Amino acid sequence: MIRVRSLRKSFVARQGTVRALQGIDLEVLDGEFCVLLGPSGCGKTTTLRCVAGLERPDAGDIEIGGTLVSSPAQRVYVPTEKRDIGMVFQSYAIWPHMTVFHNVAFPLTQGHRRVARSLVAEKVRHALKLVQLEGLADRPATDLSGGQQQRVAMARALVTEPKILLMDEPLSNLDARLRDQMRLELKKITRSIDVTTLYVTHDQAEALSLGDRVCVMDGGEILQVGSPHEVYAKPKSLFVAQFVGEMNFLKGKIQGPAVIHSPVGVIHAPTPSDCPAGTEVTLAVRPEHLDLAESARQNSHSIEGKILSKTYQGDRALFEVEANGVTLMVKLTGDSGFNVGQQVRVAFPSDRWHVYAKESVLE
Amino acid sequence: MKTESIRSITFDAWESVARIRQHGTTLFAAALFALLGLMVGVPVGMVVLMSLRTGFPGETVPFTLANFVAVYSDPGTYEILVNTLLFAVGSVSVCVFFTVPLVWLLTRTDLPLKNTIYVLLTVGILIPVFLRTIAWILLLSPRIGLINRWLQAIFELQNPPLSLYNLGGMAFVQGVSFVPGAFFMLAAAYRSMDPALEEAAYTSGVSKLRTFLKINIPITLPAIAAVMVYLFMTAIAVFEVPAIIGLPARILVLSSLIYQSTTPTIGLPAYGMAGAYGAVMLVLGLVLAYFYVRLVKEGKKYTVITGRGYRPRQIALGRWKWPALAFVFIYLSMEVFIPFLVLLWASILPYLQLPSMSALSTVTLKHYIAIPNHTGALPFINTAILMFAVPTATMILSVFISWVVIRTNVSFRGLLDTLAFVPHAVPGILLAVGLAYLGLAYRNVFPLYGTILIIILAHTINWIAYGTRTTNSVMIQVHRELEEAGKVAGASTARVLWRIIVPLIAAGIFNSWIWIGMLSYREVTMALTLYTRKNVVVSTIVWQFWGSGWIPEVSALGVILILFAVIVVGALRFALSRLGEVGEAS
Repeated sequence: MIRVRSLRKSFVARQGTVRALQGIDLEVLDGEFCVLLGPSGCGKTTTLRCVAGLERPDAGDIEIGGTLVSSPAQRVYVPTEKRDIGMVFQSYAIWPHMTVFHNVAFPLTQGHRRVARSLVAEKVRHALKLVQLEGLADRPATDLSGGQQQRVAMARALVTEPKILLMDEPLSNLDARLRDQMRLELKKITRSIDVTTLYVTHDQAEALSLGDRVCVMDGGEILQVGSPHEVYAKPKSLFVAQFVGEMNFLKGKIQGPAVIHSPVGVIHAPTPSDCPAGTEVTLAVRPEHLDLAESARQNSHSIEGKILSKTYQGDRALFEVEANGVTLMVKLTGDSGFNVGQQVRVAFPSDRWHVYAKESVLE
Repeated sequence: MKTESIRSITFDAWESVARIRQHGTTLFAAALFALLGLMVGVPVGMVVLMSLRTGFPGETVPFTLANFVAVYSDPGTYEILVNTLLFAVGSVSVCVFFTVPLVWLLTRTDLPLKNTIYVLLTVGILIPVFLRTIAWILLLSPRIGLINRWLQAIFELQNPPLSLYNLGGMAFVQGVSFVPGAFFMLAAAYRSMDPALEEAAYTSGVSKLRTFLKINIPITLPAIAAVMVYLFMTAIAVFEVPAIIGLPARILVLSSLIYQSTTPTIGLPAYGMAGAYGAVMLVLGLVLAYFYVRLVKEGKKYTVITGRGYRPRQIALGRWKWPALAFVFIYLSMEVFIPFLVLLWASILPYLQLPSMSALSTVTLKHYIAIPNHTGALPFINTAILMFAVPTATMILSVFISWVVIRTNVSFRGLLDTLAFVPHAVPGILLAVGLAYLGLAYRNVFPLYGTILIIILAHTINWIAYGTRTTNSVMIQVHRELEEAGKVAGASTARVLWRIIVPLIAAGIFNSWIWIGMLSYREVTMALTLYTRKNVVVSTIVWQFWGSGWIPEVSALGVILILFAVIVVGALRFALSRLGEVGEAS
């Protein structure tokens, strides 16, 4: 288990002080796979490095497996090498002057968690088997492909059977196909050994598919924590709505309780409690929740529009439709017969709308 | 309008150059190879030639092995070889003792005053080695050394307690002088190491000390070994310390022996003997250069460039901060402060004496004022010519060579690169002796002996290795795609060169232009070997003053030399930092 309470950290840079973390609270349960998701510079890597002990936080407590490992207030700081962790780095950090075997055996022979010499070979073999690299133990580390280095890094991180596993964008240096394959395998491996994992990425697809829990971060803060489904289906803020998945945004004005006026007509959706009538708001709806039709249907709110572009992606197609002066993205699954320039009806769902108080983030 | 038309003319010229290039690249590379081959091969060939001849340069005598027999049957030769090796080992040890902790402190810890230390290390490079040697003699000579006299006065000693006139003293001064160069080489290797390699060890539960021993040291070992081999190679070739300290103490090494053979104080010059000594030096140099290249390659295999700009974690020194700072400043005192202050003190007194009130009352500037009377204008003019001509010639050649090596696919480009590196392995003194022999023996075809041109040539050959190393790295940094993107954008080859390549490499080229100018400015070994009355330069003047025992005059000239160098480099660096912002934006 990892518990982080009001973690703060700032860096002194040339341009002045950068407040990288502004009070992070986070709890990762035993065996859980938790993903920190956010754009670059949001503080996700800094959070991970604080948990690893590679950065010293300015304030806040960090507990690993119930033991306090870092707390400036209580003058507690357990150095990295004494923490019961494994870590996979973005650059893999495979030591170039050793073989695969020695890289993986290093934590067992040189580290704080040393084991009896007779057990080393067996443990290394087991770890290499876990990542499917059994045959390559005697290879020099410099002779490996990117995907193989990635596996060695995993084996090295897991060989001591640590309580927690930390991963810093481990898949970002792989090409797309290999990345998808490794993503599946990563999930299988962490499941099979039931390790508590904290994983950093800026790729939302990776976050949604890997995580038991996703924390969306921006500006050194956690904006939302939840299951992948919660984060995708109920984004709490405009930033999360924008960052996770695709979204249509519309300007609107509250007319009454749950009634909002918008360029595409009147929308019925729950309004934020602190917004009285007359307040300007932002409406959001996902492209896959809109539909296209040749003609108006009954019982459904739809408006006239014109298709501006079509992006065919095999299993689905993405349309840009202009209606009442706004451009909407519509995603349809399967084959669809609509073409560019065609006049269509854009149908809106009755629910699925998100309403956010006007924020400066969006124009 | 006018500038427009001039511009179009230059562009037309460039266009035609570019067109010729399509067919002429190989021809151009071949011509370059031939030129470089002559520049490097002829002086080296001369050394071999003179080792096989007796008599004076120009005398036609049959080839003989008499020189080798004479030299290698003399037990004295082996004593000198042992001296040379001891001196080299000693100075490398002194250098490593200071350099490795310095690199670690400045690249991996939170040591205060880092910027100041960097500046002072650069100043350390600018102080000519012979001036630092002279300053240390003024402190530690048994006869006149200030420290000795001071210790004798305090403890009422009969005999001077310290002496610089031994192998240890030579190794000390040389080792201290090597530090800044070694520092910058090693710091570059340290910086190219991915900090994640270190952090991966910490997250594996390995302690900091064990990580340093098992990860940092093995990964940087090829780099440290390469620097050590490089220093060893240089230590065998250096001349200034062995001449200034070694010759009066009758401690000879190979370089001072070669100098003594060609410019003896009594008797006739023995070029044949010098050639025979030089041959062994040459072989040593080439063998060491080979190992150096191998080690550098090995080291490159280990560097992982992540291309991600995250700062390496700095280790907090805590209460060790002050001892660490003291260590750095003790070193900097030996390198910069003490030599400069001693020269300054000696230059303002009528004669060398311990600091006291009575000494202060005799302070005078007359030695500074009298310098032009002793030297005339010629050495200053010659030095100015050197400082401009040598870097210009070297950088033009280097840019052409690097362009062929990095940017073309001429089949022998690797060989050209190796040839450009060979001068690294040829000691400067041998190069100069070879050129002197060429000038004396074949004055009809090579009428440069006694002119400033022969010194320019010697310096250019010597620094072509350094020049091409920097232009190579500068050109590699300009990614090929930047050039290609320009062409795709519709710009002509000429325009791409002028608007994309030149702005990107200008800062780097100018930087090494300055450095080669400064190296040429402070160089004395080759200038002295090729010295006649007509091509005297400032550094050889200092040497002559020292030979005549004019301590205050040497000191005054030395102070001026140092201040001038610091001011020039400081000003140009400042100007460059403005320019560099554009150049380094890529």
